[in-house]
Amino acid sequence: MCSVKKGFLFLLMVLLAGCGGMMDDLAPSGSDKRPAVIPGTTGPFVGQNAPDFTLPDTVGTSVTLSSVITTTGLQGAVLYFTMWCPICDAHMNNMQSNVLPLYPNVRFFLVDYVSGSVSDAANAQIIYGYAGSGFTVLADTNQTVLNLYQATMGTTVVVDASGVVRMNEDYKDGVRLQNALAGLP
Amino acid sequence: MTTLHAFRILSAALVLGAALLSPLSAWAGSCCGGGVATGLILPKYARSMIDMSFDMEKYHGFWDLDGKVTPDPPGSDLRQYRLNAGYAQRLASEWQAGILVPYIWNDNTYSGLSSRTDGIGDMTINIWYEAVDDTSAWKIRNLKDLTPSILVGASLLIPTGISPYDDVNNSFDVTGRGFYRLDGNLYIDKTLQPWNASLALNYGTHLERSVNREFGNYVEPYRKKLGDRTSALISLSYTYYIGTAGDKLTGSTSFSYLREADGTIDGVRDPTSGFRKEAVALSILYSSTDHDWSVRTAWSHAVREDGWGENFPITDVYSLGVRYVFR
Repeated sequence: MCSVKKGFLFLLMVLLAGCGGMMDDLAPSGSDKRPAVIPGTTGPFVGQNAPDFTLPDTVGTSVTLSSVITTTGLQGAVLYFTMWCPICDAHMNNMQSNVLPLYPNVRFFLVDYVSGSVSDAANAQIIYGYAGSGFTVLADTNQTVLNLYQATMGTTVVVDASGVVRMNEDYKDGVRLQNALAGLP
Repeated sequence: MTTLHAFRILSAALVLGAALLSPLSAWAGSCCGGGVATGLILPKYARSMIDMSFDMEKYHGFWDLDGKVTPDPPGSDLRQYRLNAGYAQRLASEWQAGILVPYIWNDNTYSGLSSRTDGIGDMTINIWYEAVDDTSAWKIRNLKDLTPSILVGASLLIPTGISPYDDVNNSFDVTGRGFYRLDGNLYIDKTLQPWNASLALNYGTHLERSVNREFGNYVEPYRKKLGDRTSALISLSYTYYIGTAGDKLTGSTSFSYLREADGTIDGVRDPTSGFRKEAVALSILYSSTDHDWSVRTAWSHAVREDGWGENFPITDVYSLGVRYVFR
């Protein structure tokens, strides 16, 4: 039976050896490794020009980012990428209570990248209680905008009125979003 | 150590193993990571033990921050499969240690998106000290017969899984949370044949870590800590002897409670991060005459009613496990 135990331990070691990237968590780094960006280029990173897009909202109206942010009086737009999960709901709830009321001159969008149609996105908006909430839900049915911004669940993007990305990272507790919005011209 | 005593401890250990490997095991696996609760306990007479189990966890929406049941998005089918490999080794007459390693498959279907990913999960190593032995008998003749077995232990969750802070593309790739957690564990067990009752208590604290990357994108570094975790599991089981050869069938029911407090970001409380979950479970275990082999199946059910959880997925977990004990 000793060989059985050795075989089992070997299997465990093989399993552990097969997981790439493990060291990132075993010995986390606090170094700032953000790549330098060239101002004026278009891309998802802070300091770049935000990639433009057009998506339908939940009543089928097309929304174009460049048109939104150049609306007179607006300071910019926030994109929050949601898959309607518990963490997403906690983030959206927190944003609705603590951030939206403070920034009436900013448009807040929930980018739904898991619903396959405008009607499914509209149903999700109603089910999760965000109809008439102050958020505009956009149906990213082909994950086009998700890919443009290299986003995933909880990614929060701030674009200022001149079209420059001011933030692109997880929502977390919302503090960094508030800092980014407070810095908008 | 009498044979009967050994059987009682084995029975208790098997029940605990089955319970701890299922009801508290996952954490929002399909969208946000996974992990396995601490758990293997070696029977008193055994030198070592191998345990393999397979879980299927199906999602049925979630409780929001106020504890209100909320369904999954229309057209969605979210599942996680886990193969858990465990090994326990006796170190001394009262000391034992163990390791649990899960391998996780995430299988998510939405109306507009499908994703299937897999990877190793967060592993756990643990150590137990057998402080008090159960000296129970078939009948209570004196106060000593009421003495339960008591085990005190510690475990360490090691972030071997794929976390949001690794080089991953999106949340569907995640199989771990990315944090070390140190747990203190207490297990109290009492057998009065053919009945057994047990209580498992756990308190764990996550270690703070630096974060400089989220889902593959480097961000301005910050410090993050998940909240302290409290869990309890109470179970009641009944053992039925099959025929005269000594094979046993043990049925168990249990209730589990899990709460994680809010975490912190740069030392400031994150009000979106804490959660709570309560679940009930049923399990059936068959053990052979010599008790070296056993197989089990379990069903852990989260009640889909308001108030049974907060900020956490509602799931059913179906488990099948097999175990071999080396004498």
